Amino acid sequence: MSVSKKIVLLGHFGVGKSSLLRRFVENTFSENYTVTIGVHIMKKEVHLEKDNITLVIWDVEGTDDFTKYRSSYLMGASSFIYVFDASRPITYGDIKYNLEHLKEKYPHVSAHIIGNKVDLVDPDVLLNDLKAQDIQHSYLSSAKTGENVELLFKNVAAQLLENA
Amino acid sequence: MLNKLRQEFLENTTQLLIVNNTNQVLDTDDSLFSIKKGSDITDFHPFFHVISSLFEDDRKQQKFYCVQMEIKGKTCFFDIRSQVDFEKKQVVLFIEDLTDHYKTLHQIKQVRNESIINFNITQELNHQLNVERGFKNKFLANVSHEIRTPLNSILGFLSVLENTSLDREQLDIIGIIKDSSKNLVAIVDDLLDISKIEAGHLEIKNKRFDFKKFTKSLVKTYDLQANEKRLQFVTDIGTNIPKFLIGDQLRLNQILINLLENALKYTHQGTVTLRISTTSRNMRRIPVTFEIIDTGIGIPKEYLTTIFESFTQLEKRGLFGGSGLGLSIVKQLTQLMDSNLEVSSKENEGSTFKFTISLGVSHDQKEEKETPVIRNSEKRSGGSKKKKYRILLGEDIEVNQLLMMRLFADEGTYSLDIAKNGEQVVLFLEKYQYDLVLMDLSMPVMDGYDAAMRIRNHTDKKIKKIPIVALTARTTEEERDEAKECGMNAYLTKPINSDLLFKTIDRLLHRYKPKKEKN
Ligand SMILES: Nc1nc2c(ncn2[C@@H]2O[C@H](COP(=O)(O)OP(=O)(O)OP(=O)(O)O)[C@@H](O)[C@H]2O)c(=O)[nH]1
Ligand SMILES: [Mg+2]
Repeated sequence: MSVSKKIVLLGHFGVGKSSLLRRFVENTFSENYTVTIGVHIMKKEVHLEKDNITLVIWDVEGTDDFTKYRSSYLMGASSFIYVFDASRPITYGDIKYNLEHLKEKYPHVSAHIIGNKVDLVDPDVLLNDLKAQDIQHSYLSSAKTGENVELLFKNVAAQLLENA
Repeated sequence: MLNKLRQEFLENTTQLLIVNNTNQVLDTDDSLFSIKKGSDITDFHPFFHVISSLFEDDRKQQKFYCVQMEIKGKTCFFDIRSQVDFEKKQVVLFIEDLTDHYKTLHQIKQVRNESIINFNITQELNHQLNVERGFKNKFLANVSHEIRTPLNSILGFLSVLENTSLDREQLDIIGIIKDSSKNLVAIVDDLLDISKIEAGHLEIKNKRFDFKKFTKSLVKTYDLQANEKRLQFVTDIGTNIPKFLIGDQLRLNQILINLLENALKYTHQGTVTLRISTTSRNMRRIPVTFEIIDTGIGIPKEYLTTIFESFTQLEKRGLFGGSGLGLSIVKQLTQLMDSNLEVSSKENEGSTFKFTISLGVSHDQKEEKETPVIRNSEKRSGGSKKKKYRILLGEDIEVNQLLMMRLFADEGTYSLDIAKNGEQVVLFLEKYQYDLVLMDLSMPVMDGYDAAMRIRNHTDKKIKKIPIVALTARTTEEERDEAKECGMNAYLTKPINSDLLFKTIDRLLHRYKPKKEKN
């Protein structure tokens, strides 16, 4: 049996957390928006060079107020994946503030910043904007085209194995 | 009894489970879903991976709200409570089915989130539109400015050319070129205004002005033009309007010129009337109504609504055909003055444009003491005068240098030196003696503003006090103010009108002539 690690998807609502997860686990995508309430959990085994790892991914209801996150959802997490919507600046304007809040409460959990829906924006404009706001993203992805989705989960998994 | 009731009541909505620290199911009442004793509960649903972390936490109890699970093809929402027995290394899970409750909540959140996201997206689109519009306006302003510079030198050289010995035909041709160039300048100015209005940069500046004089010069100009077209120009200006009013003379002039030019353009016989009236005798502020009435071709009904549309709107609908931006500017200017331009028209009978603006009445109705300009043209052109004034020109563009040289060539009273930038101007002033500086404002290395400041702060008293005339193609009030702040004494707009240039020079030399200087 491989090790299992808990990952939590965080971010504003409608940024594509569920879509990324569905693309990763089932390789499907839908244009329709179905709000996630509470938490929806999926798992997938990832095969890496040396080892296998089971990612248990908690897709948590989106919010713009991180102080309201239920601590029970976040307990036992090994990694946070913070997703924002590249086409809506309001979903990344408060990243720094929210991440600081997380870092304070969960100092040992690594956080990755993902800019999703890149298929909708001009990458140069986006990169400029992110730079201007000093946001260091880990990946830019699209659940719609699948760009970087597999890669980002795999890399998060690899990092978890390294640290394990 | 109560216990039994409670059991019945909760039977189908709650389930109790006992699991050990290796995820093995020890006991279950199977009320919500059935699960085999001894099986690994994480195989049933990945939520239960959380059990291992329950044993790592110090808290005995936890509650997980609204956990979504697919059970027999149905989406369920559970609240799950856990209670750990650290000694026995087992945990009791109390699972409550709240699917109905959460489904209602889901609907509410669905609507709420969707509407917020739509709002975000609209906002973002608006933001982008504004950025684009700002870009367009800046572009327009820059392009207009770029076009003005060469246009000005064309106009300047045409004036020079006009004064050389030419035959009648050549003079006619120059007249046509001059008219067209002036038209072009007017269009470029309009573009500049439009971009400023749209960017919200155009401000109405209210100042005291001589209303009588203002209307007199309008009447003079259009009387002449009407005469040329064999039209009658009728003016009816209320005698009860005070002489000195407070308002934006420049913009008011722009409005009236546009409307009068249009009226003359579209009238082929009959009259054009300018009527200005007020009904008020208020001492501080009066509404003044302006009417421009013509007996021209009129405006077809279907166009009455579109004639004021802004450049942007017309362009969008493919209607922009150089038909003049005038009316849309007039409309926007009147709006800036809190007024509304109205039009009524009948085809083949004529049009009436009408607007009312509120103007302040100056409490000081006394004539200003105008210092008469002492300008004796003979004094200037005649070589009889011994003294020659030395003028220094700061100008980087070659054609403009040439143009100035031409203007000064016919003047016996002055000699002209040219410096290529502000730094050179200061250098020349330190090295040689001059009576006056003509300074282009935009120059490389050191611009006119900086140079003027240097001069005004110079340690040499003679240099410090030299009169400076700013020359520029730009015409904004701010620049005028800035030039003044930098200590410049006068301000001339290109194309330079030679008469005005020499008048200004004479005035300043007269005023600033060093008393004991002998040169
Ligand atoms: N064009 C585009 N649309 C996307 C992408 N990812 C998600 N979407 C759309 O964005 C909307 C929201 O996606 P979800 O995955 O439900 O967003 P979420 O972050 O899970 O939202 P909550 O559950 O409310 O927090 C849906 O209409 C998706 O189709 C993407 O990469 N490109
Ligand atoms: Mg979701």
